[in-house]
Amino acid sequence: MSEDGGKAGNRIGDGDFSRPRRFGGAKTQSRIEAVQFMSLSLIILAVCIAGPMLYSFVASFFSANLRNPGLGEFVGLDNYVNSFKSPYFRASMGVTALFTVLVVVLEFIVGFAIALLLNRKVRGKNIFFSIIIIPMLISPIAVGLTWRLLLHPKLGIVNYALGLLGLPARAWLGSAKYALGTVIFVDIWQQVPYMVLVLMAGLVSLPSEPYEAASIDGASRWQTFFRLTLPMMLPNILVALLLRTINALKTYDLIYVLTKGGPGTSTEMISYHIYKRAFTYLDIGSASAMSYLLMAIVMPLSYVFFKLSKNKMN
Amino acid sequence: MKSKFFALLLSAFMALSLMAGCGDEKKEAAAPAAPAAVESASAEQPAAEPAAQPEAQPAAEPAAQPAAQPQKINILMEVVPDTDFVLEQIAAFEKETGIEVVVEAINYASMHEKLLTQLLSRTNSYDVIVVDFYWVKEFADAKWMEPLDSYIKDSAFDTNVYVPTMMEMVGAVDGVTYMLPFYNYMLGLVYRTDIFEDEELKSEYEERFGREFILPDNMDDYVEMCKFITEKKGETLAGVVMQGLRPDPITMEWLNYFFSSGADFFDANGDVTVNSPEAVHSLELYVDNMNNAAPAGAPGFGFDEAFNVFAQGNAASYTTYNWMLQKLDNPEESTVPGKVAFSWMPGGISLNAGWGWAIPHNAPNKEAAWKFLNWVESFDVAKARAMAGGCPTRADIFADPDLLAKYPHYEVVLEVMAKSKMFPQLVEANQLIEILGRELSEAVSGSKTSQAALDTVAEEMRKMK
Repeated sequence: MSEDGGKAGNRIGDGDFSRPRRFGGAKTQSRIEAVQFMSLSLIILAVCIAGPMLYSFVASFFSANLRNPGLGEFVGLDNYVNSFKSPYFRASMGVTALFTVLVVVLEFIVGFAIALLLNRKVRGKNIFFSIIIIPMLISPIAVGLTWRLLLHPKLGIVNYALGLLGLPARAWLGSAKYALGTVIFVDIWQQVPYMVLVLMAGLVSLPSEPYEAASIDGASRWQTFFRLTLPMMLPNILVALLLRTINALKTYDLIYVLTKGGPGTSTEMISYHIYKRAFTYLDIGSASAMSYLLMAIVMPLSYVFFKLSKNKMN
Repeated sequence: MKSKFFALLLSAFMALSLMAGCGDEKKEAAAPAAPAAVESASAEQPAAEPAAQPEAQPAAEPAAQPAAQPQKINILMEVVPDTDFVLEQIAAFEKETGIEVVVEAINYASMHEKLLTQLLSRTNSYDVIVVDFYWVKEFADAKWMEPLDSYIKDSAFDTNVYVPTMMEMVGAVDGVTYMLPFYNYMLGLVYRTDIFEDEELKSEYEERFGREFILPDNMDDYVEMCKFITEKKGETLAGVVMQGLRPDPITMEWLNYFFSSGADFFDANGDVTVNSPEAVHSLELYVDNMNNAAPAGAPGFGFDEAFNVFAQGNAASYTTYNWMLQKLDNPEESTVPGKVAFSWMPGGISLNAGWGWAIPHNAPNKEAAWKFLNWVESFDVAKARAMAGGCPTRADIFADPDLLAKYPHYEVVLEVMAKSKMFPQLVEANQLIEILGRELSEAVSGSKTSQAALDTVAEEMRKMK
């Protein structure tokens, strides 16, 4: 039990588990017990994550190809340099950045709005909530296949509905102009519930006293929102944004089902590009190098988010 | 200090989760269960345990050895009609030999990865696999397939019964037989016969172009005709339906334009000619047809979308697999039965394509696997499959009167096949398909000119050599 009586530890988004005092004051015996309890997880982590990570790190300096046994020739930093030189890798970085920024921002705005609405006393709130989280429960592959049918330019219901409204039909996935926007829309449709869920959990756990005080002081609804709700929600918001950003950066399923990176390279994201490198080209060396380059982008990002999140909480 | 360390550690784990996402995600695009799966052909992961499987005893009849442990073979196949026809036949093999057969049928997109992991490991879950034509060189060079020559000799199996282009494509590599051709999916032109009876279209076409309104014999005229039909019929009937999805659909389709325009991947000296003037012209025609004749959205169409448009009667022509004719002639799947025919590509040269049966180099039960191959490719069994709608690879089945009575178009298919060309047998064929898919799609979307797109392909091909 932590010194604060575990209060902080009960809140979603609490990064407090990093505090040393969790085991602080424990005797050596309990430390040994803790290690014993954790040992199986640690071994699994080491085998499933650290091992492949180490292998791919080493492979990123070799001309490793799945067709040939072993790691191939040592090529130094060539795989890294060539990745940066590749216009397709750079293009996929651009697409990924654009996609990530747009989906995270839009999902946050829509998700927060829905969470705020559902946090009020509304009749049938639980029913709304259950319906809203359904997309999140569907596998991304099923989501992609369903939307692919709905968006069929000639036989899909989306263009049919637009036609009834007198709007022109569009080639949603077949035109470089609309394809990325369509993928972003499908992602938002599926991932907004996640934002709603995380933000709702935060809203529900907010203390009521400050609101009562604000009400007595005559604060307007906007003032209450900007001066109370938003600052108190900030740790939750940051965690939600952080997790969603990381998930958005590795989006693969939707691209695979909806567009395969096309038309042209208009929807080719980094994860899909790396996957092709590894499993079509079988070029494990450069796929590993690209993965580490991606990690170099994500690491500082997640570190910054965590720092921000911790500072706000403390 | 410690909290900083933990924050850093957590950041690292976040990033690690990302890496895990990038590395080995394997997505099976919701492969539907094989509809005709018989009991023995479950779609579940086979749980083959090599140690538990005794070596087959070729000379002995299983029935004569009641004490012997039952044998089992696992087969990895694709979810396609030909697999369904095999599934329907398996019970007979099991009854005849006592060997249990378990078929795992998965979506094409997952097959290469799945095979790769199996073939790279010391032991394999599968005794028999099916190999697509453009994996052949890759698998043969890596020695992932068991040479079949000794089995063929011992069983006196005659490989001369196969159509030569099929044996060349999914049979032997550099004189060693690694596969038995399973089924063909050569492409050609499927078209609506009733279009040419439309008097209004006919008179205007003949007046405008000064030639008879029949299926043209060259790609230029064909694209012109497709654009004409789309112009006249608009939303209700496009001149052509196309499939521009990366990488396979667009590549497979364009290669028919490519070969029919007189282009090829290499010249007689082995130099890359994929960006020759003929090739560039073929891509210009393809892009023109896609953007000006095919329905809006065709650059994003895969197999299903294109098929549905044609089956709904919304397109006049369709470059596709010859076996598609059976489906389009079936009233349960199509609104245009009796109004479709299969023909040469205008220009005359189609892309040949097919699958071969192979035994992995690390198969647990090779003898039983060969018994299955020997049986499944025997005349009677292969003919039964063809009669059910499968695509033959044996010349004697193509010539069979019963089959021709049921599917008269096989006469044309055989003729087209004799002149068809295959994708070059390269170790990097899979990679080349990916590059072609990307560059063709770039040309279709207007991001690159046809010349620039094919120059990139040529450059990448030279790196492979």
